[in-house]
Amino acid sequence: MNTIAEDVPAGMIAADAAKSNRLSWFATLRFRLILSVALVHAVLMGAFIWDAVTEQSDSIRAELQNRGHALSSLMAVATTNALLAEDLASLAEVIDRTQRQPDVSYAEVIDAEGNVLASTDPSRVGRRVTPRIQKSETMPLAPNDGVLDLRENIQVAGRDVGAVFVGMSTKNLHQALAATRDEGLLFILIALVVGSLAAWALSFATTRNLHAMTNAVRRITDGDLDVRVNIQSRDEVGLLARAFNAMVGSLQRTSRQVRLEHEKRTEAERLACVGELSASIAHEIRNPLSAIINSVQLMTRDNVPEADRRELAGIMTAESNRLQNILNDFLTFSRIPESKLAETDLCPLLRDTVLLLSNDPALPKSVKIQTRIHADECRARIDSDQMRQVFMNLILNGIQAMPDGGNLTVEVQPRGERLSVRVADTGRGIPDDMLDKVTRPFITGRKDGTGLGLSIVQRILMQHGTKLTIVSHKDVGTEVSFELESA
Amino acid sequence: MRPRSLQAALALCLLLFAAAAFAQAPRDYYRLGVLPLQSPTKLAAMFMPLADDLAKTLGRPVQFVTAPSFAAYMQRVQKREYDIIYLNPLLYTEARKYGYRAIAKVAQEPFTGILVVRKDGPIQRLDPKHLPDGLRIGFPDPNAFAATVMTRQYMRSLGIDVSKKFHIHYFRSQDSALMALYSGLVDITGTWRPSLRSMPGYVRAKLRIVAETPPQPQMPIAVRAGLPRPDVKRITDLLLRLGHGERGHAVLKALGFEDGFVRATDAEYLGVRQ
Repeated sequence: MNTIAEDVPAGMIAADAAKSNRLSWFATLRFRLILSVALVHAVLMGAFIWDAVTEQSDSIRAELQNRGHALSSLMAVATTNALLAEDLASLAEVIDRTQRQPDVSYAEVIDAEGNVLASTDPSRVGRRVTPRIQKSETMPLAPNDGVLDLRENIQVAGRDVGAVFVGMSTKNLHQALAATRDEGLLFILIALVVGSLAAWALSFATTRNLHAMTNAVRRITDGDLDVRVNIQSRDEVGLLARAFNAMVGSLQRTSRQVRLEHEKRTEAERLACVGELSASIAHEIRNPLSAIINSVQLMTRDNVPEADRRELAGIMTAESNRLQNILNDFLTFSRIPESKLAETDLCPLLRDTVLLLSNDPALPKSVKIQTRIHADECRARIDSDQMRQVFMNLILNGIQAMPDGGNLTVEVQPRGERLSVRVADTGRGIPDDMLDKVTRPFITGRKDGTGLGLSIVQRILMQHGTKLTIVSHKDVGTEVSFELESA
Repeated sequence: MRPRSLQAALALCLLLFAAAAFAQAPRDYYRLGVLPLQSPTKLAAMFMPLADDLAKTLGRPVQFVTAPSFAAYMQRVQKREYDIIYLNPLLYTEARKYGYRAIAKVAQEPFTGILVVRKDGPIQRLDPKHLPDGLRIGFPDPNAFAATVMTRQYMRSLGIDVSKKFHIHYFRSQDSALMALYSGLVDITGTWRPSLRSMPGYVRAKLRIVAETPPQPQMPIAVRAGLPRPDVKRITDLLLRLGHGERGHAVLKALGFEDGFVRATDAEYLGVRQ
């Protein structure tokens, strides 16, 4: 059993390469560098600002609380005598001065019985009230509480004789915190902008040279090995550019050597092929030519009976026809034109060919031809005339491989995005030692064959971007197949 | 109107409003009003244990209060803002007019006024012939009975015209007057013995009594007319009983009246003014 793998078309490689060269902006080094720097700035500055704001918030809160406590303590001392003496004028003066202190929202003095002796709220003075709070509040306050309420009991000889209440507004505190937070956000924004600009400049300096190298690589991909990059920078990219130029130079020298070697080998193969072909032609035409020459020599004798003369004439005619067939096949093989590919439904083409050969009177009755087409349409880019030649040669080969009769199956089956064409016979099979040679010119297992049929098929299929695969088992049959890309 | 004037006007309105509110406020507690003989803090330390005991006895709070001055105190007495008062005999004769009646008096040394000088001061004895002119004398308040009224009467009996012989300074309280003497702001001060005793030792060491007036009835405790009779009896009993228990001794010690209180009659004070 033998299998010949398919080659990947060169056009597809170029298309894939072109696709891979079109980078999304988000996938670029520039974007990633800018994003990285921006993220680092945002995270670091955010953490720093958060820490600073938290620290400052705690400091401002503590300062407000300490100031409130100091103020209430001072008020307690300042109002003790006035409270005991019910000196309302002095208490009012203390309250008035207290109210002028920054952030003071209210201030109040009550005696031991809960009578308000002095307050920033005149309506409360003289009233007996429930104390505003039983205990001083501490920071942080409840969300909607904008006043820090503080209480300082006034004690004389270990007894409570009254209490001082002071409310410290957190309005300025919140404004200071908001200002600090806004400043922090501004700093983050500035850091982001500056960092991103720096990252952009850095990435621009780096990727500009990389772009030049990418363009050079594209030109090399297109076959231009004369291209060089002109990068003078002394950094890693400069080193890479110099190494790149050196690599391209080396590639160019190697390519030149390979090309020369290829030309030499091609020339040698061509000469060898010509020699082999000449030998094959000579071998093929020598036998019929010898038969003709011998027949002519015999016919020139005087004593040749008429019956022998007629037989010799028949031999000469038959051998001449054989010579003509050999020359026609050889001309066909040598003159296969370039394929003119067009989108075509090859199923009708196949049916027509099978029909034509089925109606050939020379077809042995013992050979049955079956056609299996597993698709409504079998569209592919093919040269119709050449593909008809392919079908013809493969089917004829199958028929000729079954001199004692048999079944010939012609099948077309879609396989993904490709079409598989298979011709199978139940003939005697191809010997193993000939299996890898049958597509060469003038190699045949039949005495009357020219050995050019499969060679012509292989050449046409190669021009269609595919190859013939042959699987054969002795006394079981042979299966030849190829695949075409669906249109 | 300038802002400060506006503030002053507002403060005055507030004060008047507050005073009116206090006068009209109904109370479920008693107020013990003590004449501002000394600083409010010192008076509070003296009288608050007594107020606590009174509260326990009466079953309702008793609030200790004093006043910024003798005049303010007497205005509140006139308005009957205090339920229980402690004052000097002279002012008691005024308080009688507003319905207060004495129920007890301090059972202690005779109620006298004293004249105190610095040991190193210019006055060493109270002899009108040897007193230089231009001396300064300090009093707590014009109405301070022992410290001012009694000492001035006594000096007049010696032939010393206080108004002519001295530059008079009032310092609102006994303590302030004594501290003024100690500090050299005045050369002689009129006061009474309890106040001198309450001075720190280093102050007392620099001072000495140069003269003492004849005695008068002791400082009374009086109650407002209209107080429930059972409460008046309880207050009286408590005051008279203070010297008998451990707790009472602690109260008396804080007051500085180690002999406690004895019953007082209104008639004892009738002759004070005269």
